Amino acid sequence: MKQKQNVYVVTSGKGGVGKTTTTANLGVALARLGKQVALVDADIGLRNLDLVLGLEKRIVYDVVDLAEGRCQPRQALIKDKRLSGLYLMPAAQTKAKESVSEEQMERVARSLSSEFDVVLIDCPAGIEHGFRNAIAGADEAIVVTMPEVAAIRDADRILGMLGNRRARIVVNRVRPDMVKSGDMLSVDDVAEILGREILGVVPDDEEIIDSTNRGQPVALDATRRLSGVYSIMARRLLGEDLAAVDVLNDGIWNRLRAILVGQR
Amino acid sequence: MSQDVREQTGLDVASSTELQQNSALETATGPDPSAVKPQQSLPPKVTGRAIVITSGKGGVGKTTVTANLGTALADAGKRVVVVDADVGLRNLDVVMGLENRVRNHSLDVIEEHCTLDEALVRDRMRKSLSLLPAAQDRDKDEMPLDAMQRLVQELQARFDFVLIDCPAGIEHGFRNAIVGAQEAVIVTTPEVSAVRDADRVAGLLPGDMPVKLIVNRIRPHLVKKGTMLNIEDVLDILRLDLIGVVPDDKDVIVATNRGAPVVDIAGSHTGAAFRRIAARMLGENVPIPTLQDRTAWFSRVLSSLRFTRSERG
Repeated sequence: MKQKQNVYVVTSGKGGVGKTTTTANLGVALARLGKQVALVDADIGLRNLDLVLGLEKRIVYDVVDLAEGRCQPRQALIKDKRLSGLYLMPAAQTKAKESVSEEQMERVARSLSSEFDVVLIDCPAGIEHGFRNAIAGADEAIVVTMPEVAAIRDADRILGMLGNRRARIVVNRVRPDMVKSGDMLSVDDVAEILGREILGVVPDDEEIIDSTNRGQPVALDATRRLSGVYSIMARRLLGEDLAAVDVLNDGIWNRLRAILVGQR
Repeated sequence: MSQDVREQTGLDVASSTELQQNSALETATGPDPSAVKPQQSLPPKVTGRAIVITSGKGGVGKTTVTANLGTALADAGKRVVVVDADVGLRNLDVVMGLENRVRNHSLDVIEEHCTLDEALVRDRMRKSLSLLPAAQDRDKDEMPLDAMQRLVQELQARFDFVLIDCPAGIEHGFRNAIVGAQEAVIVTTPEVSAVRDADRVAGLLPGDMPVKLIVNRIRPHLVKKGTMLNIEDVLDILRLDLIGVVPDDKDVIVATNRGAPVVDIAGSHTGAAFRRIAARMLGENVPIPTLQDRTAWFSRVLSSLRFTRSERG
């Protein structure tokens, strides 16, 4: 039995909802709060966390090298020079996800768990081998979704595959104007459909596109609009009793409810 | 057979022979004369084009592209089937608004629990458009590659276009989605992560497979500000044959939530972009137009764009 329950998998089922962006920014926000944080890219073959963090040129060893014993954790971890306490464990790009076993990933997670305050594992999209690898060593899950029917359906599916792990929801890319006009589900609707606690709510913001392309997570800069959102998310993850900030009012959509509630 | 049963099963598109006999439908869909050869119905002659819609990265718009190109091709008179290859995380049914009509799925067909006709779901609005749903409660590795390949061949004998909606990633589900396809459409967005994954996927497709590129979710004002990659940047990196550029618009979210294709939203720029891509797939020489806000870079890029080759006509 591991001593610390500090390994979180960031997952979603559906791709492109913001797992990597959430992992990077939540990691940055935790490090800004003084925590020692390891971010693990579990998307072997399609890695991107390195790009989002702007650390792609510094990769020497990767998580497959570590899993197979070709290097020590300290050799594979890339220390972020902008922020003390933030480290990246990159994925391999040229290997297949099947090249690492669940047991190996669990060992990687356990070794990082004892060295760091928080370990965040960025899960690949889907529910195949890469997903099983990413959740193998995780104590809890952070399920990222969007207020959109396909993303919620996939989040619901994935919640059923996480075993008895605690899972909290990040509702990403919320557009308050669309919620108001009845074209988007509200955060309350999402919480009710998925039946889990909301960890954070992130409005849709074009700043994210720029920050991804530059490899500069928005949470690094306290003047950015979204920086505060990730800071609140980080503090809630650490157990502080803060509101998750619901920027939305309610709007109920019968068809979506029928689809999403009806399938369970 | 009652009309109701036909509605449920999509039997109007059941076989090429039946199609030939159904003169009303033939007029409605105007099948390509080369596409159906009734004399050779046994064994079925494979004439349709099987095209996989893939991306590597998730959430770039594969399902939206599949549903909208399928709809636009059906409107152009083609017999179209859209195949959801995302076993366990299906969504094409929801995007097309057909989730209440799904009775069986592709694994049922492969495992002979039902016939292909019993699994096909016909579109509500368009007779010549059908969906082959994926199983939701099964795993991707339960679908054998050779069975998937045979299934696609069977569909090619009945439809002019077989559009396969690939799951995200490059695991078994990806291999399954590409195994029966002869052509690929790679969807990307102008973001470094999506472009990197598209590049990786292009390298995993068979070397002789024709590949087209759709750049989805372009936001002209961000490109203008210099915070989004432009089309030229994307093409420089990927070196693929561009078949269309689709602007980002909240019409797509609205359409997805309503279960109606964005091509049906009057005045939607996104919908118009999909219709133009469908025309290019049919070999028409439709120039790739400027987006809503014409910008200096876009005018410059337009002149240097390689227009897509005509494939069939």
